[in-house]
Amino acid sequence: MAPTNGLAEYRRVAVFGGVYSNVHALAATLDDARARGVEAVFCLGDVGGFGPHPDRAVALLRERGVVTIQGNYDAAVAGGAADCGCGYTDPRDNHFARLSYAYTLAHTSTEHRRWLGALPPSMRVRLGPSTALLCHGSPRAVSEFLWESTTPDGMLGAMLEEARADVLLCTHSGIKWHRALGDDRHAVNVGVIGRPENDGRTNVWYTILTVAGAGLGVEFVPVAYDHERLGREMEAEGLPPEFVETVRTGWWTTCLEVLPAKERARGRF
Amino acid sequence: MIATVPLRRLSAVWIQVTGTWCNLRCTHCLNASGPLDPWLTPMATSDVERHVVDAARLGAREVYFTGGEPFLHPRILDLLAFALERMPTTVLTNGTLITERLADHLADLATGARYSLEVRVSLDDPDREANDRVRGRGAFDRALQAIARLHRRGLPAMLTATDLGTSVNGEASHYERLRQLLLAAGVAKPRIKLLPLFPVGRTANDGAPPDAEEVEGRDLGRLQCVDSRTVTSDGIYACPILAGLPEAKLGHDDLERALGPVGLTHAACRVCVETGASCRNG
Repeated sequence: MAPTNGLAEYRRVAVFGGVYSNVHALAATLDDARARGVEAVFCLGDVGGFGPHPDRAVALLRERGVVTIQGNYDAAVAGGAADCGCGYTDPRDNHFARLSYAYTLAHTSTEHRRWLGALPPSMRVRLGPSTALLCHGSPRAVSEFLWESTTPDGMLGAMLEEARADVLLCTHSGIKWHRALGDDRHAVNVGVIGRPENDGRTNVWYTILTVAGAGLGVEFVPVAYDHERLGREMEAEGLPPEFVETVRTGWWTTCLEVLPAKERARGRF
Repeated sequence: MIATVPLRRLSAVWIQVTGTWCNLRCTHCLNASGPLDPWLTPMATSDVERHVVDAARLGAREVYFTGGEPFLHPRILDLLAFALERMPTTVLTNGTLITERLADHLADLATGARYSLEVRVSLDDPDREANDRVRGRGAFDRALQAIARLHRRGLPAMLTATDLGTSVNGEASHYERLRQLLLAAGVAKPRIKLLPLFPVGRTANDGAPPDAEEVEGRDLGRLQCVDSRTVTSDGIYACPILAGLPEAKLGHDDLERALGPVGLTHAACRVCVETGASCRNG
């Protein structure tokens, strides 16, 4: 068991990542989580990008006291970096990544950029007897993608050992998954609430973690929200039609380069 | 002075399963592979399995099967299955041996495995004549056919192109032409990996390695020698580009004892340092 001294302790929490400026999904998720009786809500970063009016999502996170970790997008926007830091090499992906980043940077207030810049890169909490490490990409790098099909058990075990934790919570990739590693150790990619997860459905997903005896219950919760309204707002802001198509259809249309074979095979494009 | 880089962690293990034995003899091949008298011999099945087990035990993220042409290995499907039980696995091929029957086997393997099987098929130029001047007659059609066959079975293979022009990160036009080529062949999920040309093997020149002063202050996080090792029948090497070269040799046959620092001793090291290109899928 990893050391737990002095850490905040919870028995039921909601965790999500990737808000991507989707204030409507954020509001729906926060209402849903409250109705399910969670003690705290955590956001694992990437507040902006992709969607319209990034300031609205930042304001709502702050107003509702969501404990937020810094994602690569947050660090880039806060520091006015040259790009989002996703590391695309595909020229088509880079084209869309640049559009998204330029819009978000131009529409995030100085005050909100300061707030994003001050977010911690990771955090540790207790979930009952377990120690959980909360991070954005991986415990090793903010922009490392942990996909279900390219993250072997041995590597997860090594990461938990290095982090002296029993539970790893991450996001960044945009598709949720959970793996029980034995001895009450878990790795969970909590998913994102900013866009659907490339399955042809328009809902988004967040995660509820519940301490159950000595173990941990992991539940993925679908959230429907007014995606047509989001689509209209994106169009009004002049965001790419390809992004709007994703919101309306549930299929990813851009930034596909980073998807491994298994995850790519399941999508339409 | 030569720069030296430590291993940050072992993340990828490249295994040269067929050594430099290949059914093609490309004019730009970085390890001078070919059909006759391979200077690095194919690996025994048990040796490949031992290194895969070690890679998983050492917490690596993924394994790559390369050569030569991996599908010349008589036990390649067994080896892929063995690796996929333990970690994500990529195979780098010229695609010429991927028949309908082999495509069936690969698709079944990919579907049944919990980790991703990545098939990277080499095709350098969207123009058939230009491609086959480098890779040999018929290579273009057979590679394209292999990608299409795998896609039809739901396995989105990745086209890997060496950029034979002067553009280092790949001009959008070259990329776009490759993309159009795949779409026209019915490949609805085009995946393309561009790599620069390395001055090694059949295109070796007398260029100098990067000097330590040039390397200082650069982000070296994408260098293969920072997070991977390459296993051959002849020993363990710093990276897949320099496999088999004495100055890049780090050990005999034990991965765990080949994790020491690496000197950037070769002209090819300059390409990695200057372009940030990575041989890995991402």
